[in-house]
Amino acid sequence: MSLKGPRVIGIAALAMALLLATASAQQSSTLVSPRAAAYDATRETICQGTILSYTEDSLLPPIGAHATVQTSSGAVDVHLGPALYLRANDFSLSQGDFVRIIGATISVQNGEIFMARIVQRGQRFIVIRSLRGSLQAIGAVRALPEARRAETTRGSAR
Amino acid sequence: MSVQGKRLGLVFSVLLVFVAGCGGGSGSNGTPPPAAKFSNTSLAGQYAFSMSGSELCAGLTSFFTRAGTFTADGNGNVTTGLEDINVCNGVATLRFTGGRYSIGPNGRGTLSLVNGAGTTNYSITLTTATQGLIAQTDADTTASGSIQRQNPAAFSNPAIAGGYVFDFSGVEVSGTTVNATSFVGRFNADGSGNISGAVFDSNSAGTLSGQKPFPAGAFYRVDTNGDGSTFGRGTANIAGQEYAFYVVDATRLKFTATGTSFPSAFVGDAIAQQNIAFNNTSLDGSFAFLIGGSSSTGSIATAGRFTADGAGKITNVVIDENNSGSLTLLPNGTVTGSYAMDSNQLGGGTLTWTDTKSGTFSFIFYLISPTQAVLQETDSKIVSDGTFLAQTTTPISSAALAGDYTLSWSGVGNDAEDFVGQLSLAAAGNLAGKIDVNEFGTGKQFFNVPLSGTFTVSGDGTQANTVIFNLQSTPADTFHFTAYVVNQDTIFLVGADSNRVLIGTMIRQP
Repeated sequence: MSLKGPRVIGIAALAMALLLATASAQQSSTLVSPRAAAYDATRETICQGTILSYTEDSLLPPIGAHATVQTSSGAVDVHLGPALYLRANDFSLSQGDFVRIIGATISVQNGEIFMARIVQRGQRFIVIRSLRGSLQAIGAVRALPEARRAETTRGSAR
Repeated sequence: MSVQGKRLGLVFSVLLVFVAGCGGGSGSNGTPPPAAKFSNTSLAGQYAFSMSGSELCAGLTSFFTRAGTFTADGNGNVTTGLEDINVCNGVATLRFTGGRYSIGPNGRGTLSLVNGAGTTNYSITLTTATQGLIAQTDADTTASGSIQRQNPAAFSNPAIAGGYVFDFSGVEVSGTTVNATSFVGRFNADGSGNISGAVFDSNSAGTLSGQKPFPAGAFYRVDTNGDGSTFGRGTANIAGQEYAFYVVDATRLKFTATGTSFPSAFVGDAIAQQNIAFNNTSLDGSFAFLIGGSSSTGSIATAGRFTADGAGKITNVVIDENNSGSLTLLPNGTVTGSYAMDSNQLGGGTLTWTDTKSGTFSFIFYLISPTQAVLQETDSKIVSDGTFLAQTTTPISSAALAGDYTLSWSGVGNDAEDFVGQLSLAAAGNLAGKIDVNEFGTGKQFFNVPLSGTFTVSGDGTQANTVIFNLQSTPADTFHFTAYVVNQDTIFLVGADSNRVLIGTMIRQP
């Protein structure tokens, strides 16, 4: 069963997140060291542009969904975490979509990548990572407000 | 796509099970090891289990945990049992009203457990009659963990006494935010339900607590309503979180978060700690390690080895790290390292090494004894935990490794996945066996999949070795692993493919 947008946040929340993000550069100019490929909220920027391509299973690490976004300063490889999480939240991305993404650039072995924390397409938003960089897919339904969580069908693990 | 990072977090409880009892040694209740062949009679008595994995909940994948006990009659029937679960929409204690199991001659088998909510199904592989590996095999639920025969003589508060080291991992939910989290630490149980001398280190998506005393309210208590004396169940408050636990014996407890811990979920084991004043001399020799968890980019699995000199210096570091498909091998440049035991002599310490090309790796550890510890990575917002074990200094040859092994690995590939099976490794390095696979989803459970492959020992065998597993029928695939040999009974596995992150073990059968 698909759940409509449980992790999709409202405009106000996005606005707050945008305020927390630094200026609207497309990419961070300073990269962390090779070992420290960690999400750093103090380096958050906004990446916006048109999706050139979207794949659920990129052949290049990190494992997961990737989008190549054409920004004013060039194409950016964006990591979006598990594609199943996007699909389960009815959040789809396609070539030609205009997106705004809050995240941070980190260095990985095959280059630089923009790690998405919040993605906006049209009027819809989805939270991919916590401010600490933890993928929200690990908790999924657990992170819903209590009232919403109580409405869900029971898990299949019982 | 990767599903979640915290699928790799139950390394500690799986591994230390076998450290304490592998090699065919007798169990805590004195049951002798079985002969080379297994059967339904091998699984007899009460067995505690714990596991974590992924469930489908309201269309979303979600981390869950379970711990409990079942009673096997030695004739294929489960007669009773109890479990605590922490699933997407709550926690519950469920009574098993029945079930079935079947154990083949190589120790592989299946298990079903029936409770009021339905039936859950598992594949198991016995290492001995007292312990084994378990993986849930339901369509929308996959999980992995371990089972150990319980000793009912330890089902009381007085039996739980002395120092214990723990490693719990899972997800911490605060409001609408989820963070992968690991707790490691130690405590003293006084035999009356009270806890003292308790310290812990938490790592919540890279936010480190530093060593802290337990918050007020810590306790442990074997249930007095009959569940304690019958099933070895109890409740506890450890490091500020509420847990249910199941007693394996006086040296091992299996925990799953419950009560007010929800919606957070943690699972892990506590192991009796040797009663000594730990200092730098306590860590002396060669060690192999295996940790798993998550990073900012997804799942991470790391295995390796190092040498401690008993005086704070670390040398001979070799590691394989798979961080969401990015592979890092050390040494890459020049590696230097050090460690320092805590001045309180409770067994905690810090460990770090720096590779001039790959950066600095930092860890917290708590020694269970001078030969084993729990290990938590603390750098780069990595939440990864597991264990290190004293590694043999005797050169390892293919011939020395020949024999029968239980095999398991888990992690994320196209989705969450768990594998449990058994193989025979020949002196020439070729291997053959069978394995059960749960790739999470309807129609993605595969049983008795023929397995072949090779185990190639490099150098003296104490460094990085290579293993290739070929699944010969659906889901046919080839899996590449790097293997670190702890000793000729225990082997750590870390996946070397860039399209999946896997962590596993091979444990010798008698």
